[in-house]
Amino acid sequence: MEWLTVVYLVYTFIALYILTLFVLIYLQNKDRMYEIPPIKKQYKLSIVIPCFNAEKVIGETIETLLKSNYPGLKQIIVSDDCSTDNSYKIAKMYEKRYPGKVKAVRTPKNTGRAAGAKNYGARFVRTELIGFTDDDSRPRNDAISNMIGFFNDSQVGGVTSRVLVQNRNNFLEKSQAIEYKIISFTRKLLGFVDSVYVTNGPLSIYRKKAFEECCGFSMTNWTEDIELTWHLVAKGYKIRMALSAKVYTIAPTTFKQWFRQRLRWNVGGLQTINAYKSAFFRCGMLGLFIIPFFVVSWALAIFGLLLITYRIVRMVLIKYLTASYSIEAQTAILSMSDLDLTPSILIFFGTALFILGFTYNLLALAYSKEQDFKKHNLFQILGYMILYLTAYPAILIISVFNYIKGKKTWN
Amino acid sequence: MLKSAKNVFWEALLVTATVFFFGIILGMAFENSRVDKINDYYTISEISMMDILALNDIMQMENISCENLVQANIDFADRIYEEAKLLEKYEAAGKISDDFKLAHKKYDLMRTFLWANSIKTFDKCKNGFNSVVYLYEYETEDLGQKATQNVWSKILGDLKEEVGGQVILIPIAVDSDLVSLNLMTRDFNISEYPVVIINNKHVITELSNAETLKAYLQE
Repeated sequence: MEWLTVVYLVYTFIALYILTLFVLIYLQNKDRMYEIPPIKKQYKLSIVIPCFNAEKVIGETIETLLKSNYPGLKQIIVSDDCSTDNSYKIAKMYEKRYPGKVKAVRTPKNTGRAAGAKNYGARFVRTELIGFTDDDSRPRNDAISNMIGFFNDSQVGGVTSRVLVQNRNNFLEKSQAIEYKIISFTRKLLGFVDSVYVTNGPLSIYRKKAFEECCGFSMTNWTEDIELTWHLVAKGYKIRMALSAKVYTIAPTTFKQWFRQRLRWNVGGLQTINAYKSAFFRCGMLGLFIIPFFVVSWALAIFGLLLITYRIVRMVLIKYLTASYSIEAQTAILSMSDLDLTPSILIFFGTALFILGFTYNLLALAYSKEQDFKKHNLFQILGYMILYLTAYPAILIISVFNYIKGKKTWN
Repeated sequence: MLKSAKNVFWEALLVTATVFFFGIILGMAFENSRVDKINDYYTISEISMMDILALNDIMQMENISCENLVQANIDFADRIYEEAKLLEKYEAAGKISDDFKLAHKKYDLMRTFLWANSIKTFDKCKNGFNSVVYLYEYETEDLGQKATQNVWSKILGDLKEEVGGQVILIPIAVDSDLVSLNLMTRDFNISEYPVVIINNKHVITELSNAETLKAYLQE
């Protein structure tokens, strides 16, 4: 058997294993997907909104939180990171309008990181639970109350929500809308095996004691929310995902914005892997599944892209040389014998995996029906799977370069 | 939670291993059915080969017309040419089974046999036909050589279509490590591939177009 065939079969096995794992977790827990544990204790909660140059959106975010139906929400703290626009003034205006309920604070100097504003805002929190929401996120009015019940379990250190995309006009936005739904569905499944690997920025709530044990958000990590989650898991806390807690966010609208966001996410992911490499195969599910899952996904995506690139470049070169020579020899550039349609076992495996992956995505989307938005059509889903996802490994490779380059600078 | 979590990981591994195992078994069965098909063709071709060899021997004893012998050679060459094309397709798609390699080697041996036999036939029936032996490296990693071989195959295929009735086209992969084939290529002092040998006397290592070949055939 050729080494390339062995590589393909290993890929097939791992992909099949991950898909099977998710399907089995789903089958074993399908009745609990939208579980909302009853609130046994009315925890007091403060929500911190890190804010930077968000004058257009900050007011609406505060208004949205004020509409929350959770009676334990005591305070909304807008932590402004020295915005150069009117964000802080607007927050102060809300502070005056809702005394005691809204508080506006400002970092002594610009920290340049969301983590800086979050940590600064956290200093003013006096409640048992602390939540964070981005300055452009819109939690539904029942989102917080659907999350609180998970804290009945004293081992739970953090609860995260389901992020959905608000803007869905172009292909990129529509693809992200699909992606976010699939990610949420998958994260819920991972929650059943104690393997939620991130508590998202748009809305996550933590037990304040646990948050303080981890010294808040890391100031050196580009994805402070992933780092904090791993820190909590490493300390023995459980993380839960509330699929019924919906929060809408504005996804990047241009390729450039999207590219920069993903670069940040992935470089942050690498920083986190590096920071927690000693936890490999230790610290419960963090070392047994989360870190290996991350590392294997990265390695497979990068190696896969390099392999496919090598194959394509080789094929194009052969075709080019053949075509040049064919022209010179005055023979047909393309003949029927070039169109080899003989199927192989690898094609069967590949097709089976694509169908399984497609079915899984359909299942995830079926679980994320929204009343306010139109359903995704088949072309959007196929476009997401074939075009959007295919571009992703390239970002991973660029992220690795940036990480290595950046690491030297940070040191 | 951790205990049940571990269970589902093992369950998934078991299910995956089972599905994967049956997939591989199914794949092997699928490829083996193709190998069987090739082997069936080979058996029939082998009989034809023996028939031609017998014809050659009879010709030494009796006065048989060259026409019969030449036609038998051409028909046989055409048949195994088509079978070889099918074999190459199956071999390219064959990912698990190594049996295609063996079938390929058997066909290369048969074509070497045909080449040797065509030399004998050519000596007896000089004006009856043309023989075109195409020697190439099937497993080469050299992209330039691969491209050259692609074009040469097309040129020879076109030539065969154009003047099929008078030409015995024998493509042979030289990387099958056959003693008889190695001996024959050594006889022709061939060290680089691809190479076309026309009527067992012209060794062509540079092929610009089909016209060059036709010119040699008309000599």
